Amino acid sequence: MSISRRGILLGGAGALGAATFPLARPAIAQSEPLKIGWLAAMTGPSSAPTIGFNRGVVFATDAINAAGGVKGRKIEIITRDTQGDPTKAVNATQELISQAKVNAIWGPVNSGEALATTPIMARAKIPDLHPCVVETLIDPTKFPNAFRIAPSNSQWDDAVRNYCLNVLKVKKVAVIGDTTGYGVTAVGASVAAFKKDGADVVYQANIDATQPDMTPDMLRAKNAGAEVIVVWSVSTGMEARMFNTRAAMNWDVSFVGHPSLASGELAGLIEKPANWAKVYAVGYKSCSYDSAGKLPAKSQDLVDRLTKANVPLNDTLLWWIAGGIDAVELIAKGVEESGSTASEGIIKYWNTLSKYPGYFGNYSFSPTQHNGYPTEEIVMSEARSAKNGTFALAPGYS
Amino acid sequence: MLGSIIASGLAAGAIYALVGVTYNTMFSTSRVMSFTAGQLAMLGGVFGSWFILKLGMPLIVGFLLTLVACAIIGMITEFVAVRPVLKSLDQHLYVLSTLALALMIQQVAAIKWGTEPQPFPKLVGLGSGVWDEKFWLPVVACALTIIGLEYLYRRTLIGHAFLAIAEDNFAARALGLPERNLRVASYALAGMIGGVAGFSGGELLLAFFANGALLNFYGFVPVALGGLGNNRGAIIGGLALGLFQQAANFLVGGIFSSVAVFALFIVVLLAAPQGLFGSAIARRV
Repeated sequence: MSISRRGILLGGAGALGAATFPLARPAIAQSEPLKIGWLAAMTGPSSAPTIGFNRGVVFATDAINAAGGVKGRKIEIITRDTQGDPTKAVNATQELISQAKVNAIWGPVNSGEALATTPIMARAKIPDLHPCVVETLIDPTKFPNAFRIAPSNSQWDDAVRNYCLNVLKVKKVAVIGDTTGYGVTAVGASVAAFKKDGADVVYQANIDATQPDMTPDMLRAKNAGAEVIVVWSVSTGMEARMFNTRAAMNWDVSFVGHPSLASGELAGLIEKPANWAKVYAVGYKSCSYDSAGKLPAKSQDLVDRLTKANVPLNDTLLWWIAGGIDAVELIAKGVEESGSTASEGIIKYWNTLSKYPGYFGNYSFSPTQHNGYPTEEIVMSEARSAKNGTFALAPGYS
Repeated sequence: MLGSIIASGLAAGAIYALVGVTYNTMFSTSRVMSFTAGQLAMLGGVFGSWFILKLGMPLIVGFLLTLVACAIIGMITEFVAVRPVLKSLDQHLYVLSTLALALMIQQVAAIKWGTEPQPFPKLVGLGSGVWDEKFWLPVVACALTIIGLEYLYRRTLIGHAFLAIAEDNFAARALGLPERNLRVASYALAGMIGGVAGFSGGELLLAFFANGALLNFYGFVPVALGGLGNNRGAIIGGLALGLFQQAANFLVGGIFSSVAVFALFIVVLLAAPQGLFGSAIARRV
């Protein structure tokens, strides 16, 4: 049989025409695992939160898989250690999307990494949950795939201001932060918000976290008549020096502010335990116990289950573990409710959530609001009261 | 307020001065400004806290082991970052090599020790307020170190050998002095002085990996102010820097105090480029 030029042309045209028809996609087998990418800073300087989050991720995954998975599909967690480095986080994100072909991503867990990875995930339209605080990471127009399941920095700020003005009922405020980008931005925003609410910001400062003596700033704040000191810093060394200086000055002013005020490392840095009194750090209702030492029932149930599963709680925070559990469960629920692992379905489902009952909080999202954590669930904790990753509610809460 | 400025200013100044002496000790036998000086002081705090608080060793044992560990790091500096570039001093490659080693030390400390400041033990338990030991201990340590160094340089054979090498390297070698071994010994000595700075200042600065970069910087200022290789200049420059910095902290606030310090630094160097106590170097033409 001879092959004519006309035959080749006809065959080519036919093949081209056939290619324009949609081909039937093979249905994904129900046994194929649900792949969740986990951008985790497991090692490196900022690994403490990740270690807590990871315990929740492993716990939730084991529990769901033991119960038969998500509509018969097992969850497979694909963890990439970013070491807290944005460059490594970017590489890991690209690898998770293009090579591992994950269905959704949990993380990264610090804002520096998330600033680098969020646009990449948005381009790939991959559903992403993260707990990072920087405001600009959430923008449903630019990043319709990104959802925050922890408070943003402004929500922390709102909670701190509400505690100072409405619970402690003080009017003269000193706002102090460190000299990092975070410290400078947070102090500026906090001062503006206090002034807007009618408070008198009598002193504001950014202090080099390595400054060995805090007496100058504390003295200036005292002389200005400050009734409370609001602290925006992650430097436990600076915080401990401020507590010690307050004691040396015989001043009983309260400190209110960043969650790091409750960091366990402070116990070793303060000169005596009493120096840590009257310090109130950002905390969460779900992870705070009342004056009777009781956690909310749902949280207590979780603690009991974690204890039974031998998940250590004494060297981490409960909200990290709870956040890890909620992330895995939200992704699993998205696949279950949408009936597929397609990105659009998961994102569409998340956008419908109203007070979804997680362990860390009750999340609400909409197509125009991807900050899921409710501000009213942020409370102040007694900073020195850590017990199995939970804290006592600060005075003033009923 | 004046008491606080003097107490914390002298304490910080004494630590800066000791770091300045560390720079000078390394410089005297090698003509190299080794930027590991601040890291050696940082390690003094970290090793001290590790040996005494974490491993539960007695104070004296912890202190001696800290000195030994810092001396070893000093010797490693000589082997790794100084010796290979000595032949091309005029190209200033030591800036790169010692800075690289300093960064490595800092990163290893961050990974192994942690990035949060950690407590340093109370060493003596005497004094409170402005007389707290965290303020007077670095000053006493600085004074004792100076006395020790004066004794070493003036009364011992090895001290004379150090001076000979510092004075004229080639002539000292021609006389049969073991220049290489003496250089290694001077780096070990510098390591110990840095260790003393970090150990005595541990209660003030805490055991914190980031102290290295800070001390590298603030330890360099008294060296430049006092004149390269001039220990007396470094001590006076260090104490003056500490006092000026704390006064600026009180008067203009934290952020601006650094600006004030470096403005003064630049003004002094413009007026006396060889440092306040240094002598102009004759250049062969």
